[in-house]
Amino acid sequence: MTFEQLIFYILAAIAVISSLMMISVNNPVKAALWLVLAFIATAGVWITAQAEFLGIVLILVYAGAVMVLFLFVVMMLDINLVKLKEGFIRYLPIGVLAALGIFALMYMVLGPNNFGMDVTGEPVRFDANHSNTTMIGLALYTVHVYAFILAAVLLLVGIVAAIALTIRRRPPHEVKYQNIDKQVKTQARDRFEMIKMQPVKEKPVENKKEEDE
Amino acid sequence: MLENYLPILVFVVLGVLFGVGPLLMSFVLAPNKPDAEKNSPYECGFEPFEDSRMKFDVRFYLVAILFIIFDLEIAFLFPWAIVLDEIGLFGLLSMAVFLSLLVVGFIYEWRKGALEWE
Repeated sequence: MTFEQLIFYILAAIAVISSLMMISVNNPVKAALWLVLAFIATAGVWITAQAEFLGIVLILVYAGAVMVLFLFVVMMLDINLVKLKEGFIRYLPIGVLAALGIFALMYMVLGPNNFGMDVTGEPVRFDANHSNTTMIGLALYTVHVYAFILAAVLLLVGIVAAIALTIRRRPPHEVKYQNIDKQVKTQARDRFEMIKMQPVKEKPVENKKEEDE
Repeated sequence: MLENYLPILVFVVLGVLFGVGPLLMSFVLAPNKPDAEKNSPYECGFEPFEDSRMKFDVRFYLVAILFIIFDLEIAFLFPWAIVLDEIGLFGLLSMAVFLSLLVVGFIYEWRKGALEWE
């Protein structure tokens, strides 16, 4: 076993174990943290497969941004765990059926018939200065430009959907705005007014103070 | 190519050791005598008022999602910037179309007031 294989097996083991932990721990916050570990181990596996750009983007976007969002939601949201577990036995057969179906689909696509040295051949080994990012760039913006534009459309749909689902205008009387123009333009005479008035003599309050103490 | 990543691997291993080492050492070496008072939640001397989970404004979530979308856009820009010399006008135009589609989304969120915090 070469050093590279050892690294691959360690990272793959971490990825598999943390994925299993992610679906089996009870606390959703811990599940999200296990998922972060799974992403990081997967990024390492991708880098050992010489896909350095994808590995770094996985850490940057998924472990960095997406998981922070997940954690934020999971930590803050009012999730009642007891309620979530209601009907576990009742829906178990459907869940097992769906899991088996998904596993069968994945097996057909990713199973040993389609992968392995005899099907894909020995992967090309690149030299030290080879840039995976350059290769992705050369292919993505020219050959696969259609998919690239579709990604933009997908992101656009994401923006519109997120706004349409979550935007809530508050009624105007609840909102306190600052009008900066008005604040800058204001002058002393708008705010300060001298008023002439007769002096007013108040009634003496001697006894009241003693009562307070 | 992979040999360039050896220093990063060393850093990762060192980082894990730095993180796990103190935890393990305190687990092994530190005295551990828990009792009911020590294990009870402590909030400035009085009983906690409520659960830390609560309903919060969905607006925070909207800001986070919009951030992630433009974060992804950055991920598309990196390889493009590297190969711009080689892909020529076509690559420039493909990125222009990509960005203009996202600018449509940006204008939409701006006009809709999604970036405004009332």
